[in-house]
Amino acid sequence: MDDIIEMNRIVKIFPPALIALDDVSVTFRRGEIHAIVGENGAGKSTLMKILYGMHPADSGEIIHNGKKVKFLDPGESILAGIGMVHQEILLVSQYTVWENVILGIEPVKFFDRLDEKKARRQVKAKIDEFNFNLDPDARVEDISIAARQKVEILKLLFRNVSILIMDEPTSVLTPQEIPELFDELKRLRDNGDTILFISHHLEEVLELSDRITVLRKGKKVGTIEAGEANKTMLAQMMVGREVIFESIRKFQPAGDVVFEINGVNYTDPDKKQRLTDINLQVRAGEIVGIAGVEGNGQLELVQVIMGLVEPTSGSVRALGEDITRAPILEKRKKIAFVSQDRANMGACIPARITENVIMTHHRLNKRFTKWGGRVLDSRQAGLFTNEVRDKFDVQMSSGEAVFKSLSGGNQQKVILGRELLLEAPFILLDQPTRGLDVGSIEYVHQQIMDMRTQQRGMLLISADLEELFRLCDRLVVMHRGKIVAELITEQTNVTEVGYLMLEGAAYEA
Amino acid sequence: MRRKILVNVIGVLLAFLLGALVMLFQGYNPLETYFRLFQYSLSPGKITYTLSNSVPLVLTGLSASVAFASGAINLGQPGQLLIGALFATVGGLYLNLPQVLMIPTLLILAMVGGALWSGIAAVLKYWFNMSEFITTLMLNMIADYFTYWAITYPFFEKNANHPQTPLINQSGWIPEWGNFNTNILVMILAFVVIWFIVNRATAGYEWRISGQNSLFSRLGGVNISKNYLAVMLLTGALAGLAGGMVVMAGPHRFIKDIGANYAWDGVMIAMVANTDIVLTLVYGIFFGILQTGAVGMELITAVPKELIQVLQAVIVLIVVSGRVYFESLFASFEARRRMRERVA
Repeated sequence: MDDIIEMNRIVKIFPPALIALDDVSVTFRRGEIHAIVGENGAGKSTLMKILYGMHPADSGEIIHNGKKVKFLDPGESILAGIGMVHQEILLVSQYTVWENVILGIEPVKFFDRLDEKKARRQVKAKIDEFNFNLDPDARVEDISIAARQKVEILKLLFRNVSILIMDEPTSVLTPQEIPELFDELKRLRDNGDTILFISHHLEEVLELSDRITVLRKGKKVGTIEAGEANKTMLAQMMVGREVIFESIRKFQPAGDVVFEINGVNYTDPDKKQRLTDINLQVRAGEIVGIAGVEGNGQLELVQVIMGLVEPTSGSVRALGEDITRAPILEKRKKIAFVSQDRANMGACIPARITENVIMTHHRLNKRFTKWGGRVLDSRQAGLFTNEVRDKFDVQMSSGEAVFKSLSGGNQQKVILGRELLLEAPFILLDQPTRGLDVGSIEYVHQQIMDMRTQQRGMLLISADLEELFRLCDRLVVMHRGKIVAELITEQTNVTEVGYLMLEGAAYEA
Repeated sequence: MRRKILVNVIGVLLAFLLGALVMLFQGYNPLETYFRLFQYSLSPGKITYTLSNSVPLVLTGLSASVAFASGAINLGQPGQLLIGALFATVGGLYLNLPQVLMIPTLLILAMVGGALWSGIAAVLKYWFNMSEFITTLMLNMIADYFTYWAITYPFFEKNANHPQTPLINQSGWIPEWGNFNTNILVMILAFVVIWFIVNRATAGYEWRISGQNSLFSRLGGVNISKNYLAVMLLTGALAGLAGGMVVMAGPHRFIKDIGANYAWDGVMIAMVANTDIVLTLVYGIFFGILQTGAVGMELITAVPKELIQVLQAVIVLIVVSGRVYFESLFASFEARRRMRERVA
């Protein structure tokens, strides 16, 4: 196998001082699936975006087919046969599959009119050539996320791309959809195409790739043959220390009910029924997991619990008290809330760290105010910020710095610190580790387990089955706004839950 | 902090440079013009007059800064100013209290008038979910014609040949100590109070955070609608206060067009100050210096004083656009420095 791309001594600095890539050299071979793995902020995406021409490198060179190249924008790299599929899918949803594929390079007949027949025929031929299971005439808005991703890949193949960069392609797929994608990628490889695959899911990487390059904090740790690698070894290379994967739960009897939802229905302003007869109980010292594919009512459930919307019927109770329609501040005396959406729900990004840390506390704890609650005590706010920094191991220069300046993991630690120190008996965790790297995930999990030991009741919403099985005592599965199953973690398995998430009914073998 | 000052100073200097080019093009001597401008407004005999002139600019600027920082798009300062002025005038015509009571009473009346006018917009939002962006602008028109009617009919001064009210009772005139008009003290007091509320009070903290991310504040237990109402009333009161002061420190009566362009200048000041309270004071006084100096400039150099409005607008444009540009410029300098350090 010969080398198709050589990236030599690439350095990239994001102003003012973030060294994203520090002297990284890597070689990709023709006809291989090459995974780029690393924690968040390790520089995986940046490296690929430099190759794709989205970012200029500050120094270093790229050699493509033996020639030194420099792509100034993605258009140039596509002409050279290098294409990238991004995490977010960028298609015109009202257009059909073939219309999306030809967009920008439409075949035309006289007077620049679109030659629809020819275009459709060409797209159909490509679909058949690669054996993609796609209907060229389907509208993009009607097809699944997995199919849309295929359209993205098809778009690049249609432009004769032979080096395909995939940025975390599995993050938008359900567990059942992943094998099909992998089959397609393998087929492309066997065809002689090169796949560069960004991921931080280690199992996937081991299953799919031929070679693996590990990055850590902008530096290359090494490139290894997938056959010689295993999960523990990769995790160690990524994080720089050992990571434990087994369940970290110890048996602990659950206490009294701290939180319950009774018969909640919710119909949104568009008259769509989003939640149907939700019943849930969470006991002290217990973690209940909500498994489900995103968009099956989890967001609405969070909104109902937090009081952003009122349920059409039913009630939400904390410590036996009906708080369905209580003001949010009242709810916050009993509920701590860690959101998946740090930028909108979890924090005020442009504000200072201290200002983010004291939110809610400033109303619930007299310590933070003077003059009968009218004036903030900035000294106490500063002390509390340091307390959060020390207890939750936050890397930050000062509480006066803006929240934006923190890395994703540290942002989540600050939010977690603020919420867990509220001392509420019930904690709502909405994908608390979304977008975090392995090291931070492990840390967040440890904090959640500590809360369990302290007899807090927790509801954990997650799309990550590994996380749910690792942490939860019980699991409920949500499908189309309904709870379709209630399971004890020890008495079920990933396959069963995965099936329920997708089909909404029990697996019948 | 130093960078913030630098960005503002560079922006102002660039604007002056552009103004100089315009003057050169028109055949005036820019250096002399600028010299006369500042000589007129900053000479020892004039400086208190200049400060006194900047009072309505600072107050309406504070009103806009507090509103924008809190996410309330109150653009109704012109209307609130007029209603405040009318309230103070009517109070001054019919009340006759000793000075120590009269002045605070009229100031409070002016604030109530302004708050009432912004309160209408707040209530319309609360009940009908109408955007204050639209309603405050519409209420400006209503205030304009309503006050015009009020000084043409019910409060018209007999025998006057254009719409104006009679003089208010003398106990309601803001006292002047020689050259020093004490409306400056009222401005300083208002500035201190607003600075404290915004930067130290619990309410100000909630307003600022809600202005930047209202969903986050709501989830944090902040009562968004109560705060919104408070911000609208406070900023209306500030604009109303500006109106009251214009009457009580100036012509001592409500004359047609008394609001001049103060309130729109205030909105501009809030934008150029990026809603920072201290910068609002600085720019308010600076615009006051320019506007006062413009008169002297026109007298001595024949450069029309309208040029100053152009200059103000250019300052706003350059500082606002420069803020983003200079930030990224400084950031890339820093990146280049790191790069060199790494190579070395």
